Amino acid sequence: MKRWKGSPCDVDSWVALPVLSDEQSQDVELVEVYAAPILDKKETSRLVRELNSLCPLSGLQHVKRVRPCSERPHTLEVLMCLVSDVPKMQVVSIDSLLPSGGINCNGLGEPFVVKVPARAPLTRPQFELASQHWPTSFHEDKQVTVALRGELFSHHQKERIHAYMASAVTAAREGGVAGMEAIGAVVVDPKTERIIAVGHDCRRKHPLHHAVMVVIDLVARSQGGGFYGFDSYPACRFTSASSVQTEAQIENGTQPYICTGYDLYVTREPCVMCAMALVHSRIGRVFYGVTSADGALGSKFKIHTQKDLNHRFEVYRGVLSRECEDLHSMDDHIKKDRGE
Amino acid sequence: MGTEEGSKEESVELFCPSEEEIERWMARAFDMAKEALENGEVPVGCLMVYKDEVVGKGRNEVNETKNATRHAEMVALDQVLDWCWQSSLDVKSVCERIALYVTVEPCIMCAAALRLLNIPVIVYGCRNERFGGCGSVLDVSSADLPHTGTQFKCISGHRAEEAVDMLKTFYKQQNPNGEKQNHSA
Ligand SMILES: [Zn+2]
Ligand SMILES: [Zn+2]
Repeated sequence: MKRWKGSPCDVDSWVALPVLSDEQSQDVELVEVYAAPILDKKETSRLVRELNSLCPLSGLQHVKRVRPCSERPHTLEVLMCLVSDVPKMQVVSIDSLLPSGGINCNGLGEPFVVKVPARAPLTRPQFELASQHWPTSFHEDKQVTVALRGELFSHHQKERIHAYMASAVTAAREGGVAGMEAIGAVVVDPKTERIIAVGHDCRRKHPLHHAVMVVIDLVARSQGGGFYGFDSYPACRFTSASSVQTEAQIENGTQPYICTGYDLYVTREPCVMCAMALVHSRIGRVFYGVTSADGALGSKFKIHTQKDLNHRFEVYRGVLSRECEDLHSMDDHIKKDRGE
Repeated sequence: MGTEEGSKEESVELFCPSEEEIERWMARAFDMAKEALENGEVPVGCLMVYKDEVVGKGRNEVNETKNATRHAEMVALDQVLDWCWQSSLDVKSVCERIALYVTVEPCIMCAAALRLLNIPVIVYGCRNERFGGCGSVLDVSSADLPHTGTQFKCISGHRAEEAVDMLKTFYKQQNPNGEKQNHSA
């Protein structure tokens, strides 16, 4: 395969962003909690100890019990209990919030209601939002933080990603010229930096031959399997696996999970069928250019993060987004020419 | 037996197999599944019926093709397409009158493929807890996906226990350790 010879600034024209699970990308949900000022700072450690044992905040282990408060005369505030855990009352007093006789309320002021994050933050953006409401602990996944800043991949890695997606774009154009939807896909073995298969959409010939389904079958062919022939489409091609690699895979028992460890580059976000085909094939990672309306790796579903499925994988969007977007308008032109 | 409403389109409401048809074609599907089990293959039977004629049937071909998408339903759909092309019939108008009979709930991929080809109704035996695309893991059959063909109606639960027992027997043979495999529907 030809190496990409673009100018170095090319890789700065796009950013690969991770497509995270709903839990990782949702807004911060808040829950109401009674808090009270600590008027006598010397009582703090005793109060926290007694509250922790008698009024544990169930499900809120990520929330700090005490926060400093600089703007008010007192300097600390402590969480008492969840609003939903006590009966509704007209006038709220410290005594009515606490189990009778358990806690010595010396040093506590009048209670009030605050909103605190209901769930532990999973990403730095969630953590930063959560912390605006109440101090929250955060077990940071550094890779996710870096990925969300669009800085996960090194310059060399971005050059490789750029080159693979450029091959997918070229295949997409050839598919478009052949009367198909202009969508292309490339499967790569990232360990050897070798392209295993290149394909494009063939749905005018067969309604289920989306680009992803085409390359999955081409990967199978590269390993001596495969069911369809795409020989009439020169842009659909594969590189035969070396016998050493095939033997290694047989020994690993990875077959027929043929895409184990491989990366997929596809110009447009896969549909439900294609996304699930990638689960069945045990794809390693997926990079796509632009989203699609019914897409299943971020738009309508996030099949790569689906809890009940036995295979998950990382997905990045935005690679060569402008070039992939242009393919879309190529499609529209072709359709207009046909009067569709 | 539980039924789920799929599309509200008129043609779909009108096109629905009778109890007698369900009984008859599911018996065929179960025979296929049993035969597969006896041959050490994934026990899934799958038939596509158009105007009282089987125009597609399939068995899982994942191992021999090394293509993890060769589920029984995908194989059967290929036969339907070939049949249409050979008979010079319009794929869409044939598919809109096809019922699928299958012993196990189709997976998410197959459910989406059935939508893409506008199959209006499917009858299945047991749920597919690991990959099911008609409600068990995701409900692709009735999801709001305007660019993914048409929704379809599901008639589920026909001889469900029998279908589950066959799958259990198969996985016990395959994997004495109980480790999960990806060969099913
Ligand atoms: Zn697709
Ligand atoms: Zn399936």
